[in-house]
Amino acid sequence: MPPLDKKIKKFLKNSIRVAPKISDKGEFGELRAGLVSPYPQTRKDAIKKTIQQMTLGKDVSPLFPDVLKNIATIDIEQKKLVYLYVMNYAEIYPELCILAVNTFVTDSQDPNPLIRCMAIRTMSMIKVDKILEYIDTPLRRTLQDDNPYVRKTAVICVAKLFQLNKQLCVELGVLEDLANALDDDNPMVISNAIASIIEINSIDPTVIDLIRLIETHVSKFLLVLNECTEWARMTILTALAEYNSRDSLEAKDIIDRVTAHLQHVNPSVVLATVKVILKNITQLDPNQYSPDSKIMKKISSALVSLMSTPPELQYVALKNIRIILEKYPEILNKELRIFYVKFNDPMYVKLEKIEILVRLVDVSNIKQCTLLLNELKEYSMEFELEFVSRSIQAMAELGIKNGNEIFIAKIADIICNEILERGGGIETIRDDCCVALSNLLRCCDMNESMVKQICSILNSWSSPEDILTSDLSKCHYIWLMTKYPNHFTTVIEKLKTFIDNFTQEESMTQVAILLSVIKLHTRLEGSVLQNLFELATSYEAVDIDVRDMAMMYWRCFSIDDSNVEKDQLINELCNNGLNPLPRIDNILEMFSPDTLEKLLNQLGTISSIYFEPLTEDILNESRKRRSQMNQNIIKSQKLNDLQDIARNELLDGHEDVLLDFGDEDDSSSNMASSNNNNNTLKELDDLFGNITQDVKNLNISQQQSNTDSNQAPSANTTTSNTQDLLDLF
Amino acid sequence: MGNYFSSMFDRLWGTNKELRILILGLDGAGKTTILYRLQIGEVVTTKPTIGFNVETLTYKNLKLNVWDLGGQTSIRPYWRCYYADTAAVIFVVDSTDKDRMATAAKELHMMLSEEELQDSALLVFANKQDQPGALSASEVSKELNLVDLKDRSWSIVASSAIKGEGITEGLDWLIDVIKEEQL
Ligand SMILES: Nc1nc2c(ncn2[C@@H]2O[C@H](COP(=O)(O)OP(=O)(O)OP(=O)(O)O)[C@@H](O)[C@H]2O)c(=O)[nH]1
Ligand SMILES: [Mg+2]
Repeated sequence: MPPLDKKIKKFLKNSIRVAPKISDKGEFGELRAGLVSPYPQTRKDAIKKTIQQMTLGKDVSPLFPDVLKNIATIDIEQKKLVYLYVMNYAEIYPELCILAVNTFVTDSQDPNPLIRCMAIRTMSMIKVDKILEYIDTPLRRTLQDDNPYVRKTAVICVAKLFQLNKQLCVELGVLEDLANALDDDNPMVISNAIASIIEINSIDPTVIDLIRLIETHVSKFLLVLNECTEWARMTILTALAEYNSRDSLEAKDIIDRVTAHLQHVNPSVVLATVKVILKNITQLDPNQYSPDSKIMKKISSALVSLMSTPPELQYVALKNIRIILEKYPEILNKELRIFYVKFNDPMYVKLEKIEILVRLVDVSNIKQCTLLLNELKEYSMEFELEFVSRSIQAMAELGIKNGNEIFIAKIADIICNEILERGGGIETIRDDCCVALSNLLRCCDMNESMVKQICSILNSWSSPEDILTSDLSKCHYIWLMTKYPNHFTTVIEKLKTFIDNFTQEESMTQVAILLSVIKLHTRLEGSVLQNLFELATSYEAVDIDVRDMAMMYWRCFSIDDSNVEKDQLINELCNNGLNPLPRIDNILEMFSPDTLEKLLNQLGTISSIYFEPLTEDILNESRKRRSQMNQNIIKSQKLNDLQDIARNELLDGHEDVLLDFGDEDDSSSNMASSNNNNNTLKELDDLFGNITQDVKNLNISQQQSNTDSNQAPSANTTTSNTQDLLDLF
Repeated sequence: MGNYFSSMFDRLWGTNKELRILILGLDGAGKTTILYRLQIGEVVTTKPTIGFNVETLTYKNLKLNVWDLGGQTSIRPYWRCYYADTAAVIFVVDSTDKDRMATAAKELHMMLSEEELQDSALLVFANKQDQPGALSASEVSKELNLVDLKDRSWSIVASSAIKGEGITEGLDWLIDVIKEEQL
């Protein structure tokens, strides 16, 4: 119940108001008349209704000339709405935009800082060269504004202008102003300036010496780091991560001063901080960053804290932890339990956790290994096949990493007796067990009892060519069979069925069959080998490597019998299985040292998720795409064409398109209207807060939406129309 | 309470109807200077107007919505955007710019031939009278062929926006004509 006072007000307003009202129908005729009405209140109503239609996704661009007339107003709310509208449709009416220039320029000197900001932002966002021609004075003036809020906006506008018209931006000399903004007193101005500079540098690295600017401002950055917003902090930390400290003293100083941010609630700030610390840590004396050092412990607990974030962020954290672990394997080794899988983790988190677990485990700690083994065993009893499969693989990885024969035997035992017993009826589990067992056996191939145990189980599978489904598992099976033929009672029959299927198999299995037949050829009829050679070199779809291999062996076997070396050669080819195999001690995937260093420097970026360091090629590609995108900046026409264009634009505008939305329930659209108006204003503000970010600087929230879209592609469909419109900028 | 109501009525009546007036003329004629002379009574430093200025001012109890449009060649085509519902046009001429009198005359007559402006009154300012060698009002009138105008209330006034001379005289005449025609 509104207070009486308000009711009276409303009553008076409605009964005395002479200015005609605008209905909710959204008819262009009515809106247009309203926009040029002699009553200011009617004009404002009409603007609101027009924007409302716009946020509902209707094309209200034909009203452009008339909306534009309302841009010069002292009513801030009205001005915001008109600005929003103009930004939206400016590119449809490039010529008419010139009519707004005077207002933009005037507004950039308005006593109200918000209006100054709005003017300069808008000017730098409209892709119309006629507008950019006049940006000179307003941009320069706002860059030197007394108000930090205006300055912080203006520095971002430099990057926007650079995107739209690089040459102009360089000619105006605002890049120097931008560099000078790094010496500003206000943290927000500094962080926006560095963001803007990084952005420009990513578009064209030649115009601004980013590294030198960072070098000369490190102490400034460290100073403002504590006073700025999350987003600004991210930017500054990113800049700091680009800096190579001169000596251990400076490195220590930087580390000390950023360390506090390890406790920040925003994971992307945490990761950016870790990045800065790791970058500087190598400058220190090694015992200052031993696993027991204070700083390593702090990093460790920061990473642990990331594991209590929502799953999407955990996923990002896990990916980054994997990179960090590879460089500093001991950093989290007391925290194994944190990474145990929880039943309600999404699959992508579960799988990533297993990756961490097998890397994290300290193999010298047998108790930890046993604990992890039991944990993995439990996982392998779950019902999600992908998860089970990864757990079985992980057991083999764990065993091999540990290397102890008794421990390996224990794992083999679990796989043979418990997992196969229970899940042996499921194809993929059989495949995984076969691969895991074969890998484990490779690690202790002389252990008779293990050989016996494993081979007797595999031997009992009557038609392995059918029950195994993956190329890898078949290959492993054939390899085992060939290595221990005496443990496989029906090795010849089994091999023959594989041979019969040869052309249907994939290349790894084909190679395995080929090698197996060669090694066991003395136990097969003479024609088998010959036929296989012929088949493998002649059938059409054969893999080129398989064919070459077959060809080579065939040549060896075709050497003239009189050659004394033939027997010896064949012997060597066939019997190498008797010699001990080279020992394997790890089957975990690792990064190359070079990749690892690059990834460490790109923690918290999209690269860290794909494990794909940002290369010069990718950067160039993205630069190319951007410059193409910006090429559609609208060029103005010759003066003599202008008259016609103007006439056409006006005619287009006045064509009476009557869109009738009268069907909509009045009350609901009323509500929508007030909401939308509020949103519009809010979004107008928000809109300016962002700067388009380069791949390199994606922050976590963007990454999150990325992972989201991997897992749940429709996650973002709820965004409003307005947001879509705004995203266009 | 009394205060409350009076401020309220002010607001309400403040939303009253406005009269549209256009200030047109070639670039550099002094349009923007005249607009702000009218609004704040001072001479402001101006730049060529790329687009328009619009100010609302109250003059003799009338609310005027005064539009000052840029006079550069590239902006003149858009004048027509603003013709609808215009009560009066103020056409400003730089009386020292003899070379462009013909151009000014052409633009003036082209504008007045527009359907939408048939009922609008016309006030011409022969501006910059403070300058030596400025043509007099009657000379400007001749250059612009004002006598050819039929069925239109028009007047020409010698003015100096810088010195503030002639401006109010001109506007007084204009307001009287508008009042007569509107009431
Ligand atoms: N001496 C003199 N100078 C004047 C007078 N009126 C205007 N000016 C000057 O003439 C120049 C142009 O004046 P503006 O008011 O900007 O001209 P405008 O008609 O608005 O020009 P556009 O916006 O380009 O169409 C300025 O330097 C003014 O100071 C006048 O009465 N006497
Ligand atoms: Mg002007």
